[in-house]
Amino acid sequence: MARKIIKSKYFVEEDFVEVLAEVPAGGSSPLPTNQEMKVIGRPVTRLDGYDKVSGTARYTFDINLPHLAHARTLRSPYAHARITAIDAREAAKMPGVLGIIHYQNVDQIPWYGSSFLFDPHLRYVGDEVACVAAETEAAASAALKRIKVEYEELPFVVDAAAAMKQNAPAIHEGGNIQGGKPAVYARGDFDAGLAEADVVVEETFTTQVEVHNPTEVHCSVVNWEGDRLTVWDSTQAIFSVRDTVAQSLGLPASQVRVIKRYMGGGFGSKLTTGKYTVMAALLAQRIGRPVRITLDREEMNLAVGNRPDSVQKLTVAAKKDGTLSAMSHWSYGAVGAYPSGAACSWPLRTIYQCPNVKTEEYSVFINAGPGRPFRAPGHVQGTFALESILDDVAEKLAMDPLEFRRKNHATIDQVMNLPYTSKKLLEAYDAGAKAIGWDRRRKVPGADKGRYQRGLGFASQIWWGAGTPPAGCILKLNRDGSVRLIAGTQDIGTGTYTVMAQVAAEILEIPIERIQVNLGDTAVGPYCPLSGGSLTTPSVTPAVADAALQMKEKLLSAAAAILEVPQGELVYQRGEVRHTGDTSKKKTIVEILREMREQTLLTYGARNANPEGYAINSFGAQFAEVEVDTLTGHVKVIKVVAAHDIGRAVNRLTLENQFHGGILQGIGFALMEERVIDPQTGKVLTVNLHDYKMPTIMDMPEIEVIIVSEADTKISNVGAKGVGEPAMIPTPGAIANAIYNAIGVRLHSLPMTPDKILMALAQKG
Amino acid sequence: MNHFEYLQPTDLAEASRLLGDGPDEAMIFAGGTDMLSLLKDDVVAPRKLINIKGIPGLDDIRYTPGNGLVLGPLVTIRAIKENPTIREHYPVLAEAADVLASPQLRNLGTLGGNLCQRPRCWYFRGDFDCLRKGGATCYALEGRNKYHCIIGGHPCVIVHPSDMAVALLALDAKVTIYTPEETRQIPLNEFFVRPAEDYEREHVLKPGEIMSRIEVPAPPSGMLSGYRKFMERAVWDFAVVSVAAVFTRSGDRITGGRVSFGGVAPVPWQDEAFNRKLSGLRLTKRSVTDACKTLLSGAEPLSENAFKLPLARNLTGSLLLELAGVPL
Ligand SMILES: Cc1cc2nc3c(=O)[nH]c(=O)nc-3n(C[C@@H](O)[C@@H](O)[C@H](O)COP(=O)(O)OP(=O)(O)OC[C@H]3O[C@@H](n4cnc5c(N)ncnc54)[C@H](O)[C@@H]3O)c2cc1C
Ligand code: SF4
Repeated sequence: MARKIIKSKYFVEEDFVEVLAEVPAGGSSPLPTNQEMKVIGRPVTRLDGYDKVSGTARYTFDINLPHLAHARTLRSPYAHARITAIDAREAAKMPGVLGIIHYQNVDQIPWYGSSFLFDPHLRYVGDEVACVAAETEAAASAALKRIKVEYEELPFVVDAAAAMKQNAPAIHEGGNIQGGKPAVYARGDFDAGLAEADVVVEETFTTQVEVHNPTEVHCSVVNWEGDRLTVWDSTQAIFSVRDTVAQSLGLPASQVRVIKRYMGGGFGSKLTTGKYTVMAALLAQRIGRPVRITLDREEMNLAVGNRPDSVQKLTVAAKKDGTLSAMSHWSYGAVGAYPSGAACSWPLRTIYQCPNVKTEEYSVFINAGPGRPFRAPGHVQGTFALESILDDVAEKLAMDPLEFRRKNHATIDQVMNLPYTSKKLLEAYDAGAKAIGWDRRRKVPGADKGRYQRGLGFASQIWWGAGTPPAGCILKLNRDGSVRLIAGTQDIGTGTYTVMAQVAAEILEIPIERIQVNLGDTAVGPYCPLSGGSLTTPSVTPAVADAALQMKEKLLSAAAAILEVPQGELVYQRGEVRHTGDTSKKKTIVEILREMREQTLLTYGARNANPEGYAINSFGAQFAEVEVDTLTGHVKVIKVVAAHDIGRAVNRLTLENQFHGGILQGIGFALMEERVIDPQTGKVLTVNLHDYKMPTIMDMPEIEVIIVSEADTKISNVGAKGVGEPAMIPTPGAIANAIYNAIGVRLHSLPMTPDKILMALAQKG
Repeated sequence: MNHFEYLQPTDLAEASRLLGDGPDEAMIFAGGTDMLSLLKDDVVAPRKLINIKGIPGLDDIRYTPGNGLVLGPLVTIRAIKENPTIREHYPVLAEAADVLASPQLRNLGTLGGNLCQRPRCWYFRGDFDCLRKGGATCYALEGRNKYHCIIGGHPCVIVHPSDMAVALLALDAKVTIYTPEETRQIPLNEFFVRPAEDYEREHVLKPGEIMSRIEVPAPPSGMLSGYRKFMERAVWDFAVVSVAAVFTRSGDRITGGRVSFGGVAPVPWQDEAFNRKLSGLRLTKRSVTDACKTLLSGAEPLSENAFKLPLARNLTGSLLLELAGVPL
């Protein structure tokens, strides 16, 4: 099959990326609709479900090798300090200790741009000071306490507003504003838009730092064989781990192999290569033994990323008829001690029609753990603020909030000035409103009189997640008729093994049990993008389809050779090639393969290029019903209806899983989760899952998922858009609006904890 | 976590002897649900752990009409939750067990351990050399104190974390303390130590002393009781504020009773003035709400926890009315 190399442009986690990609030269032709499908779109249970519930599934932590040593990390107890001396001699003599590394005995390996793997300038509580390998984890932990470090404490700042001030302690040489200036965007004439408006609302919203806290902690196991390194890592991006590790160690990438079979969540915190992986590799090299390094829950809450907080000042101006005439967004957020991104204005720029828009955003360094992408970076906090203020504008206009959004429906991407491949947001409004019973919504906010007051609210969502080339998949047909799919993507817990098998099973018309999938191994699978940005399913399933379609061709050609008839007279059906005229002439897959003796059949499928001249986005609306206990301030989320346009739904079950998880995570962000730092010392106080409060299964509302879209045939043969991030984006905004509808008081600050609600109710009187 | 010796005595005398000079030398290990995290977080570092679960007879639940309830310190929270006699005669106790922690923790956690558990203050549990750990300052005072106390604090502003203690206090329970010399019994409210008296300890037990029994008087006939715990999520959380109420009524008036609080003070708390007012209080929405307006009136909330006062008042009012069957 002919292929060509193109330059593919796409968004991943708010960043515009360009990559060279090999794609099918002929583009792609769409697969039939889900109604015509037998496997795709169905609620197929996970291929790895049994392994996971029975405990057979081996996660990174389960990798055990002969002579495995264990590593633990010494972290800075100070928010800002300089190491003036370090003495590990006593620690090195402790029983079981095998090796210790720190800034004085390893090369300076660049990290975070301007810093190092071990940087004597420590910029947050949790910054890496040293790493110990020992016979056991306990021995390594004991040794950490015996490493003598002298610190020169420096003034610190853990609050973005304070960090932006003139004489704040400087965390980096260029000052505390990342890049030295804000990110700005403008279109139209904001002031003119303001002048035209009948209603102008200006409000400030704040959101907290949220920590990913996936169930599975970060972990690497590393093993050297000569100068080749194998890394088992709990990661969302095997290829970027390979490249970063290779670069850090000065090795060619070909000498590093990264493997990840199963994973217990990442949510963005595992998109970035961890220092711990490189530290383990260095230790393993020194001691000549494999090393496992596992972070504990405290380290998870200090050092592997978070969602930056935000202070967002929004101005929204509208005309009497409800048309938006101007919007502005000014914000800042703390990215932590090293570069990340705190921008959150994208939804405001694109989701609603508005000619005059300006945004100005500051990413600010503070002495705290660095941020990392977190399930829809920027969008979750930005959508909360935008959708809250829009409801307030609608109220001023005496318009139904839904009507107001419909009125300002955007038909093109106003930033790129491109049409969308598809946009079914209006359909999502209709379906969602019907399912939640939008007409029950109290017309007057806070109309309920009793102790428990109910309200309805909604919010919209925009995200990318179109998927992208390059994404390749090898399909191997074995002699027993079984199929093996091999790809360099990774299943981060979302069901990638299963959705890929579904596509092959559908096209080859064979039972899904006959398909095995090998993912997560850089030495074996063809390159696929990282699993973030809701990229995976839309990127890799089209490659599977491409490979399976080619395999069908190969089987026809093989059968033609065996049966000695022209290929054009043969058809492929349910795992069999048969002659259109003579029904006795047929060959099953197994028969064909048997005739081919030891040979297996191989095809390589590639993801097609995305269409030129279009913006590809997912859309959706979530409707929440809440009940507020006015005596305690407790918010119970009764029900969430999620109505989304995500292209084709490939697997109804794993799709619903994404919504359940995303909505629960959205509830956590809206109502309880918050990283708390002690202002006196810069230490994080919420370092366990009791103090860092995440919702439990008992906090889970009823959830109804409605998919209003079919395959988006412009994108790819499969026509799926990603769902991972869209599932979470609108939840906090919908809950915030529902709370307002219930009690008639607007909360401007997340999380909307009972204390804030109680105090707001008291002020309302 | 330090290295320690793990010992399993089979009688109280031996356990007491092994406990030696106090927590630096040895600590009791019952269900271990609190001990393990104290050890792992390096909050305590005893040289020995004394597992008392091998001592027979400490996990009994005995109820005699007229005399009341006797509980061994090794009775698990789950056993209390599931005991039909307790559910019938002391709903407040069963309800406190219902909302305590999680099923796994209730299976392991014991009543004795629950009453003797250490505070959850995040500075105390974290890497801070605070007052209660022998340091010089209380970090919570100027720091993050949303979950700290609003009354009875200073110089340390913890809240007492136990749910069972709040229920037992409202029931006027007594605890028996085993010492090698003589066994003594004290009212539960004398068991807890306020920071003003000694900010390094939460209870009166001296080295070698073991809580060996908890007694609850027989319930007066017609006793109403209940426990309401406010948590920030549905389960698996300590009380932000909790309230236990025990009272008797005649017609629409309370004839006597007691209300106690968790989450507001360094010890399970009673507002004596309010408890005195209970007798004779009319069980109408208006008078109960009015009475609650002065509840905890000596409270001095910290910078982040003023909400606890209205929360405690609201919870108390609604609990009293709910128990009395008065619509809210
Ligand atoms: C995640 C989590 C959530 C929790 N939630 C709650 C909650 O909601 N409500 C609540 O009340 N508690 C809660 N707890 C605390 C929980 O540890 C206790 O409820 C439990 O009952 C303690 O009992 P234990 O037997 O495990 O105590 P242990 O851990 O064995 O002991 C605790 C302390 O008591 C001492 N001790 C034990 N027995 C005696 C005795 N007989 N005499 C003298 N001293 C003794 C020990 O030396 C130790 O200092 C929670 C704990 C965790 C980890
Ligand atoms: S409240 Fe008590 S335990 Fe907490 S920091 Fe202050 S002194 Fe320490």
